[in-house]
Amino acid sequence: MSKDLERALSKLRFDDQVLGYSLMTKVGRPFVSFAFPDELFPRVKDSINLYKKDLRLMTIDTDKGLVVLSPVDDNWILTVLYVPELQLGLAIAKTKNVLRLLEGIELPPPPEEFEESSEENLQVLESIAVNASAVEETPTVSGTIALDTPPTILEAASASVEKLSPEDFSVSPSTIPERGPQYSTSLTLDSNLNSEMKTLYRNFGFDVLMLVDGRNTVTNIADSMFQPTDRVIDLLKWSATRGIIIVPRVVEGSVEQEKSRSSGSMGKYVKCPMFEGDLEKVSGDDLTIIRLCDGMKTPEQIAEVTSLPMPKVLQALAKYRKSGLKMIGRTIK
Amino acid sequence: MPKVENPLLLSFYAYYVDKVLSETSNIDEANQKLRDLGHEIGQQIYLNTEIVEKTKDSVTTREDVAKLIDVVYKVLYDKKPDDVDMKTARGSVRISDKDCVWCQEVNLEGMRGFGYCEIFSGILETILEFKGVDAKVFQEMSRATGAEMCTWNVRLG
Repeated sequence: MSKDLERALSKLRFDDQVLGYSLMTKVGRPFVSFAFPDELFPRVKDSINLYKKDLRLMTIDTDKGLVVLSPVDDNWILTVLYVPELQLGLAIAKTKNVLRLLEGIELPPPPEEFEESSEENLQVLESIAVNASAVEETPTVSGTIALDTPPTILEAASASVEKLSPEDFSVSPSTIPERGPQYSTSLTLDSNLNSEMKTLYRNFGFDVLMLVDGRNTVTNIADSMFQPTDRVIDLLKWSATRGIIIVPRVVEGSVEQEKSRSSGSMGKYVKCPMFEGDLEKVSGDDLTIIRLCDGMKTPEQIAEVTSLPMPKVLQALAKYRKSGLKMIGRTIK
Repeated sequence: MPKVENPLLLSFYAYYVDKVLSETSNIDEANQKLRDLGHEIGQQIYLNTEIVEKTKDSVTTREDVAKLIDVVYKVLYDKKPDDVDMKTARGSVRISDKDCVWCQEVNLEGMRGFGYCEIFSGILETILEFKGVDAKVFQEMSRATGAEMCTWNVRLG
């Protein structure tokens, strides 16, 4: 087996929302499985056989949870069982995320013992191979997105927003992106915007945007996709220039803008104190300092805001380590 | 009050990690830098500890590798890893540690994919190399970024 396969599958293994998974041959025989309930195999196999002529991404609702089936290549099907309460879109995004890791990995065909029923195998292999090119498009997802704005208006709108560049937007790990006027167009297959996004980001754009709902923070999105935060931020900034999503604009001439230009693309790594204990137990003198420990300000910033000397701030921070103060490391843009 | 083990080591390492993060432009690069540090000190460790005497001359099977990992743990941390899993994945060994020394009291946010304890990957990779084992080691999860425990994947070549 290819080495990277294991790494890709370990993403599933350590996902709390994944109950089990199985890498199956295209006839639905489990090859590598992890905690996948045996009683589901016949059902999965039936579904695979039912759709063998045209197997794309497929979901099955079972009493154990949500099963997402997706072909990896001509020989292999990845089957993942998610917890029942997981949103369909998220389950699909997670699955596609693992598929993306599998992209470019050449999986060998199933070993000898799987070839007993080789005649039948061959037929299915051929039929799946023919349809494999269609795997990219997922009808399950695209069907749910409504095109609710007429295209003419959209084009006019896009002309007016296109002048902005990604640097004009300020996106940090705690930013909550919202859907913009072009949101549905960007997710409509065959729209210009969608093809542009696909050229730049392949299916990654689609998956991230599915998670933009005005509630998820950038960190949440990155976490649930197992993707680096900076990659998500990069896409969101681009999306903002196209009006697909709405995020705060950078205020011209502000200090933060200057900072973000001078540092590397990962941003500056800082450690910020966060107090999670009981404020009532903090003595009056230290309250001004501890109150500011929200995990977003550095000790230096706290010293500046309170006009206290740094040693004094650090003293207070050290004092409350035992009652719920911890240092959070993060990169800021 | 959370008690850290070996504060001197931790302070050194935290200082180095800060420096790496300020000099690199992405997570992968940072991970690699930490592994490189591990490679370099791996040599020192190999020369200065009893790892050589306590392990077989030729490490060939996965069982041998697992034993070697136990010895490395004993020598470096004076404890055993919580789990050394050889069964789940073919061609690799997974090490789990619920009380990893490197990331004590470290909480990172928004840095998914960053292997805070990648230094150990480098150390182990170098020791394995000296023992004639071709392997790639990388950290799969770190408590520093919110996982329940630290795990490393030793992928045997």
